[in-house]
Amino acid sequence: MILTRRAALVTAAVTPFAIGRARAADTLKIGVIAPLTGVVAEPGRIQLNSLRLAAAKINAAGGVMGKPVELLVEDDASSNPGAVLAFSRLAQNQDIVGFIGSIRSTVMNAMAPDMLKLGKPVMFGGTDPTLTHQGNPWLFRCRPNDSYSARVIADFCVNSLKLKKVALVHSTDAFGTGGKNALLPNLAKMGVEPVLVQGYANNQPDFTPVVQAVKQSGADVLTSYFTNEPDCAIFARQLRQLGVRTPWVGSPSVQSPVTRGLAKNALYGTYAVADFVEDSNPQALSFANDYRAAHKESPDSGWTYDGLMILTKAITDAKSTDPTKIRAAILAIKKYAGTEGEYNFDANGDGLHGYNIVVNNNDKIEYKQHIEFTD
Amino acid sequence: MTNFLQLLFNGLGIGAIYALVSLGFVLLIRAASVVNFGQGEFSMLGAYLLVIFFNIFGINYYLGMALSVVIMAGFGVIFAYTTYWPLRFRGGLPVIISTIGASIFLENMVLVLYGPSSVAIDGLFESDGFEIGGVFLATQYLAIIVIATILVVFQYLVFEKTLLGKKLQATSQDKEMASLLGIPVVFMILITFAYSSAMGGLAGMLVAPLLFVSVNMAGIIALKAFAANIIGGYGSIPGAILGGLALGVIETMGASYISVPYKDAFAFAMLLAFLMVRPQGMFGEKISEKA
Repeated sequence: MILTRRAALVTAAVTPFAIGRARAADTLKIGVIAPLTGVVAEPGRIQLNSLRLAAAKINAAGGVMGKPVELLVEDDASSNPGAVLAFSRLAQNQDIVGFIGSIRSTVMNAMAPDMLKLGKPVMFGGTDPTLTHQGNPWLFRCRPNDSYSARVIADFCVNSLKLKKVALVHSTDAFGTGGKNALLPNLAKMGVEPVLVQGYANNQPDFTPVVQAVKQSGADVLTSYFTNEPDCAIFARQLRQLGVRTPWVGSPSVQSPVTRGLAKNALYGTYAVADFVEDSNPQALSFANDYRAAHKESPDSGWTYDGLMILTKAITDAKSTDPTKIRAAILAIKKYAGTEGEYNFDANGDGLHGYNIVVNNNDKIEYKQHIEFTD
Repeated sequence: MTNFLQLLFNGLGIGAIYALVSLGFVLLIRAASVVNFGQGEFSMLGAYLLVIFFNIFGINYYLGMALSVVIMAGFGVIFAYTTYWPLRFRGGLPVIISTIGASIFLENMVLVLYGPSSVAIDGLFESDGFEIGGVFLATQYLAIIVIATILVVFQYLVFEKTLLGKKLQATSQDKEMASLLGIPVVFMILITFAYSSAMGGLAGMLVAPLLFVSVNMAGIIALKAFAANIIGGYGSIPGAILGGLALGVIETMGASYISVPYKDAFAFAMLLAFLMVRPQGMFGEKISEKA
């Protein structure tokens, strides 16, 4: 075979790209949209650490279909426009087979239309119930949604604490409003009409009007859906300073390490629903121990770890990276023991259907009970 | 009545914070004709310095504050040389854009160096506060109100009653003429930046125990402080303090008696109302008066 100079030049020019493409296809690429900067960068860091731990574990066990998992991370800058931009960057990479989305419902709502257009599975942690009920078949939730947190909060206030004069404080963003919209009907089912429903805008330096409203409402139990931890901590301190001693049952931000570190004793004695509790199951404890060994701190969540494990299990089960087949495999997952609890995916894409209740006992988070729903 | 008084006290407290930050704006507007959108970042840097001295190195709280103020004054000089000096003949807008750029740079620098976590820090006093007639008076708010009052009096006296103040104002009005009169223009500008940065840092240290120390701690406060500056009268010292206090009280009362979610909207609605009805602000526009 005679190789002309022109053909040799073309071959030389194309070969590196061909090798590049072959290398690119040698890994199983997962896109990650995480808040690496901005107001929620702290939980973003923990989420990313958890993902890397999961990827290392999967790769140590031989990868997925013989390929190591590779995480391609984009920063959402803790904002909706940042998240949309981050997702659009990742969406251009056709080698990505699935995504790990956000823990923030408002961010997920912003990205959801583009996720629907792209048509690849996204594991996410936002708890606004509507996210899996708006006809988007590509969203799979790895935390229990707020309809469950709301049911657990309502159940715990009325049946365990025997308190019925309920005040509700919530952020007016998608998460807080979703929580409010889920809690009110659950309280109504128990014959409880809240004495106060009080929204607030995120990032407030002062919560006096909200605290005074709680104080004047005559509530005997306070419920809450706070999005940002510093907001929750400022509210907690002002609540105690202004003499409100009402029992408080809140969404997970009330017991997060960040909030407890800021509010300190202002949160002692408060209750919270918590999706991730170290001593609630063996998987959570094992993950927490591995995380501590790697990062010298405790994790506050395991949903990204579970999300990657479930996504890769579905690819293995489907024996394919075809999005439709992965979707079917995720929906077929039942009784999967994850760090956040037992996953049983329903037709909407919700994997978990219950919550834990924890109490802050002098800064030690104690597991009280798990409430699971089957309906 | 107790509820009203509680809201009034906390409204004044948060208003004093706006006033304190607003004073930093006023200083640069009056002495160097610069609107510094990095003023909030001065506060953030001051608070982080206190965290480093007190939380990390365990240095005495008050000594830590004093050291932080000195460092912030030095930082103000660096800020002036890098952000203002190269653009000093280009008019107001390039300098404003330069300060916005510097604020983004400072935010991200702290993010890289310190990380995104919010940090709690002790207040000036051991006790959170005390109660009088059912109204809780937070000691940190009281301290902020007192310090803001002292600083406003000090700043007013410097500008209106001292030769240094006259030189600073002359520099702001016409640098060329000031130079011909023998005023060391460069030195005046550097003093102003140093003082403004030190005061911004002090404001940050005072609010840190209330709002926690984070990269974003001063963003909304700086915006409202700027609004307070417009409401009080652009470049007016009494205007900054009264505008800040009015803003704090009105947004707190508005949130409590009308709507909490629209709390921030009350502040900016007040700004819009002033811009439409009395654009010169409560005390008149100091800069336009001079022109």
